[in-house]
Amino acid sequence: MMKLKNILANFKKQFLSISKHPYFGFIVLGLVFLFALLLRNMGLLTISVINTFTLVMIYSVVAMGFSLLLGFGGLASLGTAGLVGLGSFIMGYMHGKAGISFTATIAIAIGVALVVGLLVGFISLRIEGMYLAIITLGLGEMLRQFFISYDTFTGGFTGTSLRSFQIFGKLFESGNDNYFNTVYIIIIICFILAMVATINIIKSPTGRALLSMKNSESAAQSMGISIIKYRLLAFVLSSVFAVLGGALYILHTKFSYPPQWNLSYSLDILAAVIVGGAQSIYGIIIGVFLIFGLKVSVLNYIPFFSNNPALIVIFNGVLIVLVVMFYPGGLIRLLQTSWYKLKIKLAKLKMKWRTYRYGKDDQ
Amino acid sequence: MAKMINNLLIKVYQHILIHIEDKAKFKKDYAEVVIARRKSRTEKRVNNLKDSLNREILAKALKYGIKNDLTETFISEKIKKIEERFYWKKRALKASFSRKKEKAPDKMILEKAFNEKSLVLDNELNQEINDLRAKYANTIDNQEQYSLEVKTLEIRTTEKIKEIERKSVDNLEDYQDKVDNKLKRLEKQACFFRDKLFSLADNANIKDYGLDEGVILKLDNLTMRFGGLVAVDHLSFDVKEGEIFGLIGPNGAGKTTVFNCITKFYKPSEGKMYFRKNKIDTVFLNEYKVHQIIKQGIVRTFQNVELIWELSVIDNLLVAAHTLFKTGFFGQLLHTRKLHQEELVLRKKAENVLLKMGLFAYKDSYPLGLPYGILKKIELARTLMVEPKMIILDEPAAGLNDAETLELAKIIKMIRDEEKVTIFLVEHDMGLVMDICDTVCAISFGKKLAIGTPKEIQENKLVRDAYLGEE
Repeated sequence: MMKLKNILANFKKQFLSISKHPYFGFIVLGLVFLFALLLRNMGLLTISVINTFTLVMIYSVVAMGFSLLLGFGGLASLGTAGLVGLGSFIMGYMHGKAGISFTATIAIAIGVALVVGLLVGFISLRIEGMYLAIITLGLGEMLRQFFISYDTFTGGFTGTSLRSFQIFGKLFESGNDNYFNTVYIIIIICFILAMVATINIIKSPTGRALLSMKNSESAAQSMGISIIKYRLLAFVLSSVFAVLGGALYILHTKFSYPPQWNLSYSLDILAAVIVGGAQSIYGIIIGVFLIFGLKVSVLNYIPFFSNNPALIVIFNGVLIVLVVMFYPGGLIRLLQTSWYKLKIKLAKLKMKWRTYRYGKDDQ
Repeated sequence: MAKMINNLLIKVYQHILIHIEDKAKFKKDYAEVVIARRKSRTEKRVNNLKDSLNREILAKALKYGIKNDLTETFISEKIKKIEERFYWKKRALKASFSRKKEKAPDKMILEKAFNEKSLVLDNELNQEINDLRAKYANTIDNQEQYSLEVKTLEIRTTEKIKEIERKSVDNLEDYQDKVDNKLKRLEKQACFFRDKLFSLADNANIKDYGLDEGVILKLDNLTMRFGGLVAVDHLSFDVKEGEIFGLIGPNGAGKTTVFNCITKFYKPSEGKMYFRKNKIDTVFLNEYKVHQIIKQGIVRTFQNVELIWELSVIDNLLVAAHTLFKTGFFGQLLHTRKLHQEELVLRKKAENVLLKMGLFAYKDSYPLGLPYGILKKIELARTLMVEPKMIILDEPAAGLNDAETLELAKIIKMIRDEEKVTIFLVEHDMGLVMDICDTVCAISFGKKLAIGTPKEIQENKLVRDAYLGEE
């Protein structure tokens, strides 16, 4: 009996020490999403729920890169949509049409992201704040126009579609469950890897350097942090994340057409990061769910919203206004503070019960 | 041509030498951390063993009905627990009685019931205590058997403890040997490169830029123009190694501009600045960029506190240690073991610095909302992370009250004496400047008025005129 108790206590201790590791939550989240796939294959969940999860994961990858730029580097960008589109078209063209292998396509996508990120980064060295946002907005629009007019690469206004893909020598044709499951698992893996990479960057000297660059450039410089290097790094990282998100997007939806990658998409990503909390990974996921997932999973089924789709945009706008006005740290901050308040309230309630049961202390 | 190759070789060797020295230092620091951790682990194990020994002796004593301090305290603790349980029961009873008393129609019956119940509780308490005493009042009292068994137990445990301690000492010695060997090897390599450097230095034209003996910073005709305004006008002076050098002047005299020129926030329009980095190396500061200055051994603070508000105090210190992290970006992306080790070592170092500055209590709090004096101290602590040769303080006493200023003076002196750094400061608080500075330089409208000991400056007529106006 005693031994069993000891073993249980030991197990609990080990579990507690493991659960404190930052990766633990990510893996649990990934397993939850995987479990959802299992439920769907058993027929307990509808496909729309899985689609919501997939979209949340893909856009979270993009938003995490964006948060490294905005939440840590303090640099505003409105050109995200162009980069996500670029990723999707690279995947669609290189892998789907030109027949380059999957891993090579990913490598090419990362290389292109590097070049574009460096380009934007160099532009950003001379420009700050609002003007940087305008410049990146211009770059995003340029990319969109490029997609529309350069139709051998993107398929022009009608867009590119990806009917099948080949990974590790196995061919997956779209339209059956096998394709769907494989893509879903690939997306979960990429999602977990993106979270791990983000937390590693945040908790390392690079993350601190980015934050200090945002807080005080002069202090950062006098501490040996090169502004040029870290600005370029922030842009490169965010564009790599965005391009990877685009590649995952076309795998999931099998389709990408140029007009989709417009300003409103960039603004949605910005809104997701700000609503959720620009410095917390879970906050970003919550924000992405509110901005992108809620529309697909809940609001479309409410007649009031589905009859006038413009109201969904208004709903998002109101959400942003409320969050920015009352919780500048994002919804994650709201959750944290309310958890803290709940704890205090529970302690008070316990005290009340104690005085009721046992009388006052000074008796 | 030969000279150029020679100079290039010297630069390469210096780089390698610095790399080796950094590596050796890191190995040493990490070994310290590891040894401390292992020692504490052994201590914990020994304590656990001792605890379990005490428990076993107690069990034996209870078994043989021995009456000694151990069993007495054991039983009295048990009794205390029982008493506490009944205390709470009684309190609950009392509370329920006082609640019912207000509504009850007949108070006499209620009171009677209450008295009865409390009597029952008292009886129960006595019963339980008696039971407990009876349970442990063993009559066997086999003293001989008991002492024999206890002795064997004690011998066994002491042997175990000795074994553990011996093993840990052996392990530590092995580890220390390994580290020492590694350090020796590194030292040998360093010696090799040092010799090479020495032999090369003979026939190379090492530029020492004509710095006098004992001078660490030399400004030569420094001039800074903003458009038509001349903020610093052909200023030149020397700062000696290990002194506290004060730069004073009325408002707008260009003191902070001088600092910004030295730390390369501004690019001086004219003039040269030299800094003695170490015994053999003197650097020409004009050639470096802002973020490279800290690597030469110059750190600065700011007039208005410039901390990273979104990071905790200890993370702020780690930002200052940015140049000490050698792991590259991909190492950080994968969180390699090396990064983990570096983080451990530097965190320990930051904790030591905080302890020295008396800031350890604020380790994990965020700077936003802390008192101004503490913020200034944190900024000062931040400069100590990289073991600089020279600390530049921009108005360290601005915004502090008298007591805090006195403390600051003490701290500045302590830093100078313990870390053997040169301190170069700008200050308006004349009391502080005259108290701590070894040399004071007074400037007005970017021009040097006088330089000398505080007393000489106080008696200088030009300085008085600049501050108080001409008579």
